[in-house]
Amino acid sequence: MGKIWLICLLCVLAACNQAPAHEVISLSALQPLPKAAEQTIVPLRVSVAAVISPKGTAQSYQALLDYLSAKLERPVELVQRRTYAETNALVEAGYVDVAFVCTSAYLDGAARFGMELLAAPQVNGKTVYHSVLLVPAKSTAQSMADLRGKRFAFTDPMSNTGRVYPTYLVKQLGSTPQEFFSEVFYTYNHDDAIRAVAEQVADGAAVDSLVYEFALAREPELAKRVRVIHRSPPFGIPPVVVNPEARPQLKAILRDLLYGMADDPEGQKALAALGIERFVPISDEAYSSVRRLFQEMHLLSP
Amino acid sequence: MKDVARLHLANWVERLWAVLGSVSIRTKILGIVLGLVSLFGLTITVQVRTALTQALEQQLQEQAISVGRDLAARATDLLLINNLYALHELLHDTLANNPNVRYAFILNPDDAVVVHTFGEGFPVGLQAANRVAASDHHNIRLLATDEGPIWDVAVPIFDGRAGVARVGLSEARLHHTVNTITSQLLIIVVLIWVIGVSAAAFLTWALTRPILQLMRAAQAVGRGEFNLHLPRWANDELGELADAFNAMTAALARAAQERAERETLRNQYVSGVIAAQEEERKRIARELHDSTSQALSSLILGLRALSMMPDDVPRRAEELRQIAARTLDEVHSLSLQLRPSVLDDLGLAAALERHVNDWRRRANLHIDLALSGFEQRLPPQVETALYRIVQEALTNIIRHAHAQTASIYLERRDHSVRAIIEDDGVGFDPRTVTHKEGHLGLYGIRERVELLGGKLVIESAPQQGCSLLVEIPLDWEGSALTCPSPKFYSPMTTPSFASACASCLVRSLT
Repeated sequence: MGKIWLICLLCVLAACNQAPAHEVISLSALQPLPKAAEQTIVPLRVSVAAVISPKGTAQSYQALLDYLSAKLERPVELVQRRTYAETNALVEAGYVDVAFVCTSAYLDGAARFGMELLAAPQVNGKTVYHSVLLVPAKSTAQSMADLRGKRFAFTDPMSNTGRVYPTYLVKQLGSTPQEFFSEVFYTYNHDDAIRAVAEQVADGAAVDSLVYEFALAREPELAKRVRVIHRSPPFGIPPVVVNPEARPQLKAILRDLLYGMADDPEGQKALAALGIERFVPISDEAYSSVRRLFQEMHLLSP
Repeated sequence: MKDVARLHLANWVERLWAVLGSVSIRTKILGIVLGLVSLFGLTITVQVRTALTQALEQQLQEQAISVGRDLAARATDLLLINNLYALHELLHDTLANNPNVRYAFILNPDDAVVVHTFGEGFPVGLQAANRVAASDHHNIRLLATDEGPIWDVAVPIFDGRAGVARVGLSEARLHHTVNTITSQLLIIVVLIWVIGVSAAAFLTWALTRPILQLMRAAQAVGRGEFNLHLPRWANDELGELADAFNAMTAALARAAQERAERETLRNQYVSGVIAAQEEERKRIARELHDSTSQALSSLILGLRALSMMPDDVPRRAEELRQIAARTLDEVHSLSLQLRPSVLDDLGLAAALERHVNDWRRRANLHIDLALSGFEQRLPPQVETALYRIVQEALTNIIRHAHAQTASIYLERRDHSVRAIIEDDGVGFDPRTVTHKEGHLGLYGIRERVELLGGKLVIESAPQQGCSLLVEIPLDWEGSALTCPSPKFYSPMTTPSFASACASCLVRSLT
């Protein structure tokens, strides 16, 4: 009798520890990971500078990438990096074939290695944009002067609208950001800068007007939480660039594709997803005003 | 089949009881306590262990999913901007901040491992062990590994566009916790076991000690030792049992003493009976020698003289006839005293009247005799007993009471016969009757009455006369010679009167 009880008890206890009937995986016997297979089809690598968050970028540009992939009959890969400088480095190294960069990044790339303009987006019939100075809706500040001693959010160290222009404004007031503001921090993209102001993590931030308007269209609630207290003069819009040594044939194909998108219903959808009307040709003169600003700020190598 | 099963069951029950019944109470109580504590403790332990394991496993799965989702959310941007170092940091932070996490790794959309926490190399088969569709929230699987079961969660990153995050949570800590709690419970069970054994040991000691004492006391009582007194152990049933036992012992002691006294009295009575019997024989012998032999000798001498002197025949014949007549009277009287044939022939009433008349003639005593309801004969043993009781009582009155008057009243009722014999003599203390010698007559009356299932009440006090009330049931089924206790009521010791019991004894013997 006793034995039977013991067996029953052991069965009950054993049932608690029953292991799944799968193949046993050894976590200690490690083997090197296989090398990534050589890609037989080389994708078109498109880089987008971190104007908005990586996730937002991936969502917004997906339609464009799909469009390009379909038209070129070639896979297209989106390559993102944290900073403008990293993206520029990818263009310079020829790792990416085409890049959507910020205006300041273009100025830097053009000065450094002759970054070449491919096209420019047209928004509201223009190829310009502004830097808008934002404060929380409840803030009493009316101009940059009122933000003295406050906490300020920069987007990217290289950003025109997000850092260079507000620094210029502070300089006009006879100070430097480090002296003028109580604290300065980087959000590395414009989306997060807008959010930082909306959440009152920052008392002020300057952002790309195109990004701001796009964000408002996507999230109308933001209009109640932030307020624009200053708008910069127009600057040349962030362009689409290529490495100067890219194959001329590829450059020509890409130009044709981008310019023709507005005439293609599929292309229109991709453009709508990015909030732009069309891609248009653009020349380096469009960036003269902003280049002067940068030179004044001693940001560009002569 | 059913009968066979029932038989088997009965067999088992019998065997079980043979085992359980043969062990001591101490073992039974200890067994019950140990059995209950063990059953209770083990049931609780198994139940707690099962419930705890289930709850903790549920928690672990939820934690695995939550860690996986968190990792996927935080890895999205890092993957998109290809920040491998931050991804590496993120994985190691995840590992460091969640002790249950055994590993974490990230797959890119091409299903290649981007970063992982295994250091140099990657476990074979792990990557393929869990898959998740891009549209799914997550997929969780229990993997068997050389380090035990691991809950592996796969979570798509950015709807699968950026890849898949995988984390593995080990059950090792869970089982460690469960085992710790189980062992604590078992220690508690063992502690309760020890306490239970101590308590049960004390309980059995407290319970069995009085029972053992009681057993020894009962054995002593069985040997006839009535002088022991059990202590009252506690104010409970056992205490009451001790009291009851002590009361019983005291009653037994009293009964034994009374029995011894009666035995002594009985022995004296039997000696008296034997002596009286011898006395009676001597008297009959003397009577026969002195009277009957003399008379017969005179008759022989007279007859011889008659043969030698023929002229004086009528006068001598008349003398011889008178001698013969006298002798006949004496023989008749002798036989009447031994056993009045009138009792057998005419019944109790006539025998008593004749006996009383005889005493009225012989003694200086006024005797009233009243009889009621004796139209029909009584059973012979009742008639004999009542006759001898009245005879003995009258003998006592004449010998000891110095009474002027005696009255005898006998009444037959529906189911009994009642006799009241009173006198106005010197009386005595009835309490001394059973304890002192010299009251064999009364003792004989009591014996006769009790033999017939009747009762005797003696009312007397010094100088107050005496009254005997005898009541004998008529529908009593026993009889003098079929008494259930032959030791005390064998024919040899059947009581009879001190002075005139010889015939009775002879009758009893025959």
